[in-house]
Amino acid sequence: MNETPLWASESFWKKIAIWVTAGSFVILVILTMDSLSKTGAGSKRVPAYAVINKKIDYQFKTALHKSMPVIGDNEFLFGKEYSEEEARQLVDLGKKTTQTKNCMNCHTILGNGAYYAPDLTKAWLDQGWISGEMRENMMVKFLMDPANNARTFGSNRKMPNLAITEQEAKGIIAFLKWMSSIDTNGFPYNFKTIEAQE
Amino acid sequence: MIEPVALQDFFITFFSAALIILAGASYALLFAWSKVNSHFRIKIAALVSYAVLILSVAELTRAAHFQGYWLIISMAMAVGYFFAPIGIWHLCVKTHADQDLIKTKGGRR
Amino acid sequence: MNTSDLNGIIPKSNRLLDKARTYLDDFKAWVNLDSSNLSTGQQLAVKYFTVAVILFFAQLLFGMLAAIQFIYPGFLYEILDFNVNRMVHINAMIVWMLYGFIGSIYWLIEDESGTGIVGLKWANIAFWVLTGAVTLVVLVYLFIQIGPGKDSSLWFINEGREYIEAPRWADLGITAVMLVFFYNVVATFSKGQWSGIGGVLVLDLIALVGLYLAGMFYMTNITHEQYWWWWVIHLWVEATWEVLVGVIMAWSLMKLLGVRRKIVQTWLYIEVALMFGSGILGLGHHYFWIGMPEYWLSVGGFFSALEPIPLVAMVVHAVYDAGVHAFKTVNHPALAWVVAHAFGNFFGAGVWGFMHTLPQINMYTHGTQWSASHGHLSFFGAYATINIAFFYLAIQQWRGGVWMAAGAHHAWRWKWALGLLNAGVVGMTIALLIAGYEQSFIERAVEGSTWGGYFAAQNEPSFQRAMGWRLLFGGITLAGFILLVWDLLTIGKGETRKIPTINQS
Repeated sequence: MNETPLWASESFWKKIAIWVTAGSFVILVILTMDSLSKTGAGSKRVPAYAVINKKIDYQFKTALHKSMPVIGDNEFLFGKEYSEEEARQLVDLGKKTTQTKNCMNCHTILGNGAYYAPDLTKAWLDQGWISGEMRENMMVKFLMDPANNARTFGSNRKMPNLAITEQEAKGIIAFLKWMSSIDTNGFPYNFKTIEAQE
Repeated sequence: MIEPVALQDFFITFFSAALIILAGASYALLFAWSKVNSHFRIKIAALVSYAVLILSVAELTRAAHFQGYWLIISMAMAVGYFFAPIGIWHLCVKTHADQDLIKTKGGRR
Repeated sequence: MNTSDLNGIIPKSNRLLDKARTYLDDFKAWVNLDSSNLSTGQQLAVKYFTVAVILFFAQLLFGMLAAIQFIYPGFLYEILDFNVNRMVHINAMIVWMLYGFIGSIYWLIEDESGTGIVGLKWANIAFWVLTGAVTLVVLVYLFIQIGPGKDSSLWFINEGREYIEAPRWADLGITAVMLVFFYNVVATFSKGQWSGIGGVLVLDLIALVGLYLAGMFYMTNITHEQYWWWWVIHLWVEATWEVLVGVIMAWSLMKLLGVRRKIVQTWLYIEVALMFGSGILGLGHHYFWIGMPEYWLSVGGFFSALEPIPLVAMVVHAVYDAGVHAFKTVNHPALAWVVAHAFGNFFGAGVWGFMHTLPQINMYTHGTQWSASHGHLSFFGAYATINIAFFYLAIQQWRGGVWMAAGAHHAWRWKWALGLLNAGVVGMTIALLIAGYEQSFIERAVEGSTWGGYFAAQNEPSFQRAMGWRLLFGGITLAGFILLVWDLLTIGKGETRKIPTINQS
């Protein structure tokens, strides 16, 4: 019994375990408070929901080694200017719909989810929507009737009909537009937007 | 700030990262084994494993463009993976020190 | 459906029920297990194990369906779409592993505390409530699948958040059941005696339940929502679950190998320090790209580089034990699965994790088949293996403590089950690794992550081939599972040699 030095004893490691766990947790809590305060809707990294009234782009900044969202002039969604509260409600409907339709178990959102369908992080800016003018209409049609407006890119993988209403479709599009304005530390890398193409 | 891996360095990044862990483990394994069975060759093999680890860390540092404070990670891996197995070995020896001194009552079942 | 149909159905269903009862009785007679070999807590534990095995099967079945859809996208289109299959696949996995853990703890606390389970009646009710709730959730997943974009859908159908999709009513129900479980554990230790193992277990369970609460809230802000969502997922699987496995292993080492309590507990504390020390802030590697501040790149990168340290510690300790003490075991299959656990945990969590975790490379690998490759090997290696090992311990006791080591009958079954399951999972992992490498290269690096780039990568012949191999190895895994179940039901049947009692302190 006497041969066991302090640093190899049970009581020593019990204390270490408690201190390490508590210490890590306290640091995590502090970082959490800081992170949440820096990423509320309306912060520099996560714009206010009314950003859906603006033109959004995602451009590579050489000095930063990464792409950054660029918020431009007015570019109303569905031809309407939303107040912050109206925008929040619309984005909220869209966000909720992406959950209740279980989008995440085919798509990835901010890179998290399943890998059976494309990432939605910058879906609003994707070149697949051909041009800024056609985009909104194409997206609404696609969401409401994906089977007949399928965008399979030769893969034969079709999104199923998820009984999305027109209002829900508009909400999803608002959510996607808002999400594309979030500063994601340069993810996805080297992304070429619909704006860059025009 | 990070500089993502260049296209031509993809494979080497995965490879060197995997090799760090594998070499680290094989160094730990061989180090422990050399303590149980003090054979000269096992010690050499342990050191060779560690050399592989250092090379992999250097390669990863290059491929992943570590600079500034990111070099702390490279240092931590080079130093930490050298001393961790030694420390853990001593811990094993000391925690088991009185292993055979006391044999108390049998199992309840 | 008209009434005459209904009239025909009732006697028919009665006859079906009778038939089912006869089959069940025949099955019980064939299996021939004697529950009087088990304590009351252990009898509850084996109920949990039984459901765990059934859910394990569901995991494999729906995984197979999803794997087929990668190759034939029209398969079950608009009947059981990929998202449904994939959701059941991962939910069944999470839940069967939890069932395994809960069962293991009910199994060991009576022995560890030296008294019977306090509140056993409640524990039994909780088991049936939980199992009923899980069944209902799965039925809703399969037959209702999705709902309109309203709160009621989140409450009753699906929360749509990977791994914790269970609707909110089930969240509350699961929490209530967990509180009963928690009460059983705390009250049992309080009535009997506390130990280091008991203390770590209780604190870990508090964390486990508390973290689940963090995942119950709806938020419009996707960045905040994913922040809390990772608290649940990461701090479960990379911290609290690891410690739970540590507790189960610590007890098993004492019972099976006669390792002294003081040593086991010291090492449990060491493991807690290393696991939580690296794992809690290792959470940062999930915060690289979801909108969180840039310092998470450094925090996540640094602590991810530390996460293999506990695994290295295990390697050294294993060599020490093997070299210094020549251990004998009376349960070969359990020992073999523990060895599979050591390797699987090391490769799945350690090597596969570190290969794609640093932000400089994760920028490309995040959200690709890389994650699937890592997920398959690490969940199997870290958790499936240890649960299966415990199933073998349980069945040994259930059979009356019979010999399951050298010279046991039909040993080929567990050996082949072990081989097929491991080969299947490793094969899937390699196939997904190839797919992930190709996807991160073509879609992410070359094509810049557009939808066009995504499909270009998915259509590549090498990706398609990899998906074919994944399906094949999935089939091998399933074959291994079937053999495993057969072996668990029959191992030790007719064995007369008993195990010698092991001295421990």
